[in-house]
Amino acid sequence: MASLKRMRPLLGTFVEIGCEQSDKSAEHAVAAAFGVVEKLHHLLSFHEQASDLSRLNQAEGKAVAVHQHTLRVMKLARAMTLASKGLFNCTLGGAMVENGVLPNHNSPNQDGAETKASGVANDIQINAHTITLSNSIKITLDGIAKGYAVDCAIAQLKRFGIKAAWVNAGGDLRVYGDLVLPVHRREINGEYVSLGGLQNAALATSTVTDVYDKTFPGKIVGSSTSPALGSWTVMAHYAWRADALTKVACLATAADRATMIERLGGRIVTVK
Amino acid sequence: MKNIHSLWLLPVAAIVSPVYAADYLTVEQAQKAIFADAQSFEARPAKLTSDQQDKIKSLSGLRQRWDTQQIWRAVKNGKTLGWFVVDEVIGKHEFITYGVGLSPDGHVLGVEIMTYRETYGGGVRNAIWRQHLVGKTLADPFKLDEDVPNISGGTLSSRNVMDGVKRVLAIQKVLNLVE
Repeated sequence: MASLKRMRPLLGTFVEIGCEQSDKSAEHAVAAAFGVVEKLHHLLSFHEQASDLSRLNQAEGKAVAVHQHTLRVMKLARAMTLASKGLFNCTLGGAMVENGVLPNHNSPNQDGAETKASGVANDIQINAHTITLSNSIKITLDGIAKGYAVDCAIAQLKRFGIKAAWVNAGGDLRVYGDLVLPVHRREINGEYVSLGGLQNAALATSTVTDVYDKTFPGKIVGSSTSPALGSWTVMAHYAWRADALTKVACLATAADRATMIERLGGRIVTVK
Repeated sequence: MKNIHSLWLLPVAAIVSPVYAADYLTVEQAQKAIFADAQSFEARPAKLTSDQQDKIKSLSGLRQRWDTQQIWRAVKNGKTLGWFVVDEVIGKHEFITYGVGLSPDGHVLGVEIMTYRETYGGGVRNAIWRQHLVGKTLADPFKLDEDVPNISGGTLSSRNVMDGVKRVLAIQKVLNLVE
């Protein structure tokens, strides 16, 4: 059967959605999956001032009512921040702004409190419909939102009855069904190296370079350690987890890396 | 949590290539993807004067690098549904052709990537890349000519395309295609 694939600019990068069917129902399913990604783009963007994330970051300690998706991804981000002992840390928004990686929407806080570079999981309180941030922290979902969007797009494709499909959001990808997706990794020197075939799993890569390139603007900031140079690829069942664990991979010590990633539900992928 | 021991990449034969490319949509397919209701598309290619190019620059803040732009009017029952514009981005590492759908009152209706090429190094920038670079597993359901690998790696910014869309909106205005 012929396949169908589409690409749109979303989440600050390029999102490709493909499936092993090319009829009208496949087109509807792919369009609906893009619809979910677009929705998440508007909810979780640090760049858009009206997003749930920006409203939360500007709430100055007040409870903010947010969408169910935002609650869910914040729960995952908070849990991973805790479980990884801060190697993945969603409270690094302040540090990202300081580094000039993310825009600063805030006028100085009215209460005069300085935004903190980073915080801890307990600075985030999540209730049934609202989230409250304390200690003047800012949330960044850079390390998890793309992966989460991939998972939601996959769920949508399944809901539409698509038997086999894949979603790739700027290198965070997931595939399901009876198909093997050949995956190459773009190395720092621009070469493409084969990682193998991905089936019923997710995979994400973060690249740490010492030279800033605006074509690849990703930047990894640690709260205590510096990230290790190189490309870090992690496999997991869900893309949000693979995405988050690439940050753990580049910030963990060489001795702890593999076991730590396994304990957190992923597997580090090394190129032979 | 599902068992992580089921997480393995399957072996596939691979050819190393300096270029990654994928074709998504032809002009006709992209037109239909954005304007599903259109009955016809009238070609209205624009030749931009240097004065118009300057205006585009001052409206969008982005330089109009070429003087012709491929534009179509999407028509249904004689009425204008909107405009379909094909544009290109030539970045440091990427060469992207994409289609933009604009409403008659100047809003973006949709953006579809038509072809996407990532290249490194000047020598391969213009290489024509048609060869799909993938090996097989025994259980592989792909047809050979449809095999295109996926790329994982540092996230490529779509900023250049978003800037291009801004420029296309300025083109619509300069050509008086806004009602």
